[in-house]
Amino acid sequence: MRLRLSANDGAGFRFVMSVPGIAATFGLALFALALVLLLAFRRNDGGLVIGPLTLSNFTGIFSDPLYAIIMLRSLWIAGLVTLATVVTAYPIAWYLAFQAGRWRGLVLFLVTLPFWTSYLLRVFAWKIVLAYNGVLNSALMSLGIWDKPSSALLNNPAAVVVTLAHAYAPFAILPIFVALQTIPRSLLEVSSDLGASRAQVFARIVLPLSMPGVLAGALVVFVPTLGDYVTPALVGGPGSIMIGNQIQAQFGKANDWPFGAALAVSTMLVILAAVLLIRQADRRWGSRA
Amino acid sequence: MTKHLIAALAATLTATPVLAGGPLTYFTWSGYELPDFNKSYIAAHPEGPEISFFGDDDDAFTKVKAGFHPDLAHPCYDKIARWNAAGLLQPIDTSRIKNWDKIFPVLQNLPDIQAGDGKVWMVPWDWGNTSVLYRTDLVAADAPQSWSMLWDPEYAGRLATIDAVHDTPVVAAILAGVNPFDMSPADMEKVAEKLREQRPLLTTYTTDMTSIEQSLASGELVAAMTWNASAVALKKQGVPVEFMNPKEGMLTWTCGFVMLKDSPNTDLAYDFINSRLEAESGKYLIEAYGYGASTASAFAEVPQATLDELKLPANPDEMLKTTIFTGPMKQNDELAKMFERVKAGG
Repeated sequence: MRLRLSANDGAGFRFVMSVPGIAATFGLALFALALVLLLAFRRNDGGLVIGPLTLSNFTGIFSDPLYAIIMLRSLWIAGLVTLATVVTAYPIAWYLAFQAGRWRGLVLFLVTLPFWTSYLLRVFAWKIVLAYNGVLNSALMSLGIWDKPSSALLNNPAAVVVTLAHAYAPFAILPIFVALQTIPRSLLEVSSDLGASRAQVFARIVLPLSMPGVLAGALVVFVPTLGDYVTPALVGGPGSIMIGNQIQAQFGKANDWPFGAALAVSTMLVILAAVLLIRQADRRWGSRA
Repeated sequence: MTKHLIAALAATLTATPVLAGGPLTYFTWSGYELPDFNKSYIAAHPEGPEISFFGDDDDAFTKVKAGFHPDLAHPCYDKIARWNAAGLLQPIDTSRIKNWDKIFPVLQNLPDIQAGDGKVWMVPWDWGNTSVLYRTDLVAADAPQSWSMLWDPEYAGRLATIDAVHDTPVVAAILAGVNPFDMSPADMEKVAEKLREQRPLLTTYTTDMTSIEQSLASGELVAAMTWNASAVALKKQGVPVEFMNPKEGMLTWTCGFVMLKDSPNTDLAYDFINSRLEAESGKYLIEAYGYGASTASAFAEVPQATLDELKLPANPDEMLKTTIFTGPMKQNDELAKMFERVKAGG
């Protein structure tokens, strides 16, 4: 009797608990996605979802080398951002997991501190740092390294990479930190006892065991930066216009929503391919088995 | 308890339409929101208007089309036909605009704003020029007064231009020798070629005039396409700049208020427009930004010396004798798409 009741309770509880999730998934995510998908096959005739369907948006995208160039540029920039973020995040996560001791709380707090300000403010902060009369130029001039300010720091892809890498750092630090923290300390002791050097312990034990965190962090950084448009628009200059800027322009100035939707769908396909690649990598190197 | 809750809920729901009649919402360019432009409106309605900003009026168009419903918006004249064709506007009754008669006839009679029957689609409020603003100390004294300064490889990496269809592509068309307002596909390609030529020389395409002004002041930029207000602002700061009078002609534009179709606040909207057409408001526009007001009465309040200094004739007719008026562009959408492609490197 008691058992049956609790089983019933469990089912009811599970149902109630999953209602918000199901509603959000279907109502917000899948419905919106379906709308974008439908729009991508529409002609730009002013109507939104009702009207004749066409493949011309996609043939336009795939037959035009410009969009391939912009996509490659976006992949290149997002890839560099991911690399820069992971490489700089790893030592911080490592310090947090193994060295921070009683400072861990404080360091974690500092890592998340940038999130207390708006993303836009952080982009503008970088603009102030990198500008012609900005912080970096003034510092280099007062150190005598340059005798006149350089305008080469801002309005190029490198500025986009630096700004995005800073903005997304916590997204890489936290998963790597968690992965490192769950490595049993006994393994490290055992390998030391068996005569492994610190470099060997890192290369053979710590790094492989933290790979799931690294790959998760890389994915979380790569996917949103690929579609970012605010950062290239503000610090990128004409040379770093990314696919997100093109999508935004189609929904804005160019006033061709179906084409913008088709670009968005194509971008999603590229991201899907990237995710599959990373999953493949995860199977190969990330597994803890 | 439940009953109370339902009653409260019902009260909230029925109250919503009343709440929607709240403050007037005004959708405009940044810098056009200053309370000094509508002092009498704020005196009569202390809560003031609620302001939203757009980067340019093409962005504004898509935002309104997507379902953003302000009461008033502030696009420029060349976009009115487009807004109208999308069914976004309601006619404004000129008999309810107190100072309608004070508006310059050339602005009153613009073809695209006529809604017939004493009504208009847009009440003109401001007009001004687009030109090259350059550092006189960084450019040779005998440099030709031409838009082509923004295409001069000598200043590569120290130029910027405005990211709006009715500015940069129009100038590119003028330099390419084609009619900006009606282009054949071959003309369009010539304009694209001209824009491609400019792209590698630019630091940025932007509508953020504050950062353009800062970059001109610091010397990062030698020249940029701007509107009058930037010239006025930098001269006030003592930066050695000149607002060029290019031999091809400056661009002259006019913008104004449109009332959105389903605005629940038409009375407030009329109060607001009336407040903005007072001479005091136009005087402030002239003196603070160097733009022209749409009313002769505003110009009458400004000393001639100030107008001379601003190089602003007291009548837009005078200005238009030497400038190019940005009217509606037949291929606006195609031009916008092409401009986006060129910006991205295509």
